[in-house]
Amino acid sequence: MQAIILFGVLISTYLMVIAKRSTSLIRAFRYQSFCLFLATLIIAFNEKQLDLYIVAGLLFVIKVLAIPRYLYRFLNKIKANEDLGLFINAQLSLLFALGFTYLAWVFARRLIVSDYALAAIVPAAAFFMVLIGIFLMIFRMTALAQIIGLLAAENGLFLLASTVSGGMPFFVEIAIFFDVFVSVIIMGFFIYRINKLFTHIDVNKLSRLRG
Amino acid sequence: MTILLQLALFIGVSPFLSGLISKIKNNLRMRRGMSVFQPYYNLAKLFSKSEVISENASWIFKLTPFVVISSALTASLLVPVIIFSNPLVNAGDFLALIFILALGRFFLVLAGLDTASSFGGMGSSREMFISSLAEPALYLAVFAISLRFGSTSLVEISQMHTLSASLIVAASALFLVTLAETSRIPVDNQETHLELTMIHEAMVLEYSGKRLALIELSAYLKQMILFFLIAGIIFPIAPFGAVNFTQSFFWLAWFLARIFIIGLIVSVLEVSVAKMRLFRAADFLGFAFVLGIVAVICAILGV
Repeated sequence: MQAIILFGVLISTYLMVIAKRSTSLIRAFRYQSFCLFLATLIIAFNEKQLDLYIVAGLLFVIKVLAIPRYLYRFLNKIKANEDLGLFINAQLSLLFALGFTYLAWVFARRLIVSDYALAAIVPAAAFFMVLIGIFLMIFRMTALAQIIGLLAAENGLFLLASTVSGGMPFFVEIAIFFDVFVSVIIMGFFIYRINKLFTHIDVNKLSRLRG
Repeated sequence: MTILLQLALFIGVSPFLSGLISKIKNNLRMRRGMSVFQPYYNLAKLFSKSEVISENASWIFKLTPFVVISSALTASLLVPVIIFSNPLVNAGDFLALIFILALGRFFLVLAGLDTASSFGGMGSSREMFISSLAEPALYLAVFAISLRFGSTSLVEISQMHTLSASLIVAASALFLVTLAETSRIPVDNQETHLELTMIHEAMVLEYSGKRLALIELSAYLKQMILFFLIAGIIFPIAPFGAVNFTQSFFWLAWFLARIFIIGLIVSVLEVSVAKMRLFRAADFLGFAFVLGIVAVICAILGV
């Protein structure tokens, strides 16, 4: 059951890679977070811990509902161009993503020493999400993609933490959620300022100064 | 006897499936829509009409509808629906099924080129473009399923009831391919006859009367076969083997129900997404291809 949800995570991450427009990227992030929510719920059910249930609830409220909604509203407000600006086209990005899948799998197998091959699947998925997050931050031009990339990498770390160690201490978890939410808001505000100053959010052109 | 029963099941239900999908779509759009039985009326009308054949058409044009319908009928016999005392179920495996369907498509493409009308040629080239992208994904999905069960035989696959991650990913790849192959919305649109966007319709534009009816019927059959394959992977049940009357009734109900569930998913999806540009279809099918690769990897890992 958990494996099936993990492949939901995998597919939604692929969707993030092929997204060409901001709205579809945000939607893919929402799917990814939702799959993560289900996975956390299953872990909570298996370990029978109240903390994990609360963490799953927070995950749902913040990452599935609040952050995507905030980003949608924000996009409407700044009326930025829908185009994400791909350095590498969607097809080639998919091939890269496939390579990352393999890389993550090999890395996880080296890290988790176990005869049971399935033990490495969850860490592999987590590494994969982190890699794709960084990939999105590097190879997409707009600042929005960098926020989403950071969030995707954070999702991967969350998955790793909640499966390998059965969840971080409860207060650490809550603090991280709060941090993420606040950082999204701050980054959104930065983008808003950038957009006002430069009339675009293309990070690639930011190296040229305007006096 | 069982062969006839299976053929009757496929021919009888497949137009209804198409009508049902269009009814659901129209209702979702707050329209009344045509009756669910409209495809039957269309077929009956077309079969009773005389046909017009271009005088430049060669034998390929005249022969194609029969090749297409016979490939669709053969394919519907290879699917393990009723395997109880059915001599044909082991005649071909998964790969044979796909190749037989590809034969029909090959002749359809030739026929589109045959009369040298500009629409026919355009439709044929687009169809080959789409199917050359769709087939690798389809094969990868099939390989994943075969690796999972250690066999390409449809009968053996259908007798093992399991569900696993690789099968789900393979089924989703198969689903995307099915959308492309049955000319559903993200790739093609069945409802419109707008010249610039059509693919399947453009190929068969020259046909009329009985031959058009044959081609439409084979399109319905192909759709039902593909839906049945997806349904068989997602909701695994044993093929028909019961002799008891009530058992066979329940079996039939469940058989139809799962095909209709797939139809429901397709129609909701069709209402909720917009049609892509033709060249975005490469992205769409590339995604299906990657899903196929993931499915194969999962099958090798054994999940």
